[in-house]
Amino acid sequence: MNFFKNNLAVKDFIFSIKNYYSWSYLSYFDLKLKYRRTFLGPWWVVLGIAISATAMCFLWSTIFSLDWKSYLTYLFSGFIIWMWISQQIIDAPEVFSDAAQYIKAYPNNPLFYVFRHCFSSFLLFLHHIPLIILISLFVNHKIDLIVLFSLPLGLLIVFINSILFSSNIGMLAARYRDIDPLIKSLMPPMLLLTPVLWKPEMLGAYSSYVYINPFTYFVGILRNDLIGLDFDIYIWIGALVITIFQLLFFLILYSKKNKRIVFWV
Amino acid sequence: MKSEIIAKDVYLNFPIYDAQSLSIRNKIRDIGSKVVSRSKEDISGARVIEGLKNINLNLNHGDKLAILGPNGSGKTTLLKLIAGIYFPTSGEVSSRGELSCMLDIGFGFELDATGYENIILSNIIRGHTKNEIDKLLPDIAEFSGLGEFLDMPLRTYSSGMQARLAFSSAIASTPGILLIDEFFSTGDIEFSEKSKTKVLEMMDNSSILVFASHDMDLLQNICNKAILMKNGEIILSGAPKEVINFYKDTYHLR
Repeated sequence: MNFFKNNLAVKDFIFSIKNYYSWSYLSYFDLKLKYRRTFLGPWWVVLGIAISATAMCFLWSTIFSLDWKSYLTYLFSGFIIWMWISQQIIDAPEVFSDAAQYIKAYPNNPLFYVFRHCFSSFLLFLHHIPLIILISLFVNHKIDLIVLFSLPLGLLIVFINSILFSSNIGMLAARYRDIDPLIKSLMPPMLLLTPVLWKPEMLGAYSSYVYINPFTYFVGILRNDLIGLDFDIYIWIGALVITIFQLLFFLILYSKKNKRIVFWV
Repeated sequence: MKSEIIAKDVYLNFPIYDAQSLSIRNKIRDIGSKVVSRSKEDISGARVIEGLKNINLNLNHGDKLAILGPNGSGKTTLLKLIAGIYFPTSGEVSSRGELSCMLDIGFGFELDATGYENIILSNIIRGHTKNEIDKLLPDIAEFSGLGEFLDMPLRTYSSGMQARLAFSSAIASTPGILLIDEFFSTGDIEFSEKSKTKVLEMMDNSSILVFASHDMDLLQNICNKAILMKNGEIILSGAPKEVINFYKDTYHLR
């Protein structure tokens, strides 16, 4: 118990959560600023997704010879969720270097900037969820009540993971500058390797291989109930196991090296 | 609450991650030169620069410390160490009392946000709540003297106006321990006079002041203690008058 009480990572994490007011205000403001002077604002993101998803839906439903209606919800939800998750991964290496100006000028817990960044993406994703629900209602004519429980839980798990991942990779990448280009070159093929555009059962005998891919779990816990797929306890367990690993890595790395961040950025 | 700053045997090394290739060249250069090199290799073989060496400080409630020294002698580094931005490589630093730093005051500004929004943003990062800032906003706005420009994006400001905004947003906090790096050259004559008066007032109200500056007369008027730094070390500490005279003699300033 003493380890947790005196651990700097635990202290800073709890302090950041208590201080939610500051970073959430800044996250909201970052979004507001980003879309100031545009007419559609964050709806541009939705429009962008809608255009590419619709085009892909017709193409891929023909190639896979699927019913386009059921494929539409699958593709649309997968795409929107993927946008959030992959953006978090791509931005993670720069989360501390982007805040270098602040870190070097003012004594603040570095996790503050991680929360600010991750919450901003989270808000943007929340903004898109009604769209998934609308399309799901349009195709399925109903939505499972389990969503009321699973969606907030799924959001929480993915949000916590985005914070842990950004902090872990942000620290490593601030020190070792090769990590950033490495991650940026790995993410495009990950879209094809993750069941976003295709369904696991399409792989036939190889379908169990999708569970090697950690993204399968996070896309799954957000998507499955939302679009009326069967509840799958294994993807929830998988997501939790990954969260625990990330948390352990965070506790060790952050408590040992957080004072070095200012020299790395 | 009584304020206090204590530093004990503090060493601070800056790691340098991209200068490995220079080391042989530097060693050859160092053979012929009498300059004491501040870069060396630490235990693990990584290249570091000695930012601070053997720093001992003990400041109590009511102390006003002047930091003197040429450029690159470690004045700002020492201030940032006390502030808690840098952490010592070895030794200990502790402080009691609420800190307010005026080191790099222009952080937290967004070019597309208006003057008012930037005041709010930079003060939220400093840990104030929106309600607190809303109460201070009229005073800050008036002090800045920017008038209707506060409703316009920062992009449209001249550098002098940006400096006015940066200074005005930084003075919102009521200081306990006040850390100030030289910056009186902000804005035009009128504003720099005004900001000087304001800073002097803040210094008066502070429980402990640590002030790095090259303005000898000002330092002598305000401070009751002084240190002279060179190559990251405190080479002299004592009464301001004594230290300033030594500094002037060493660098032939009179």
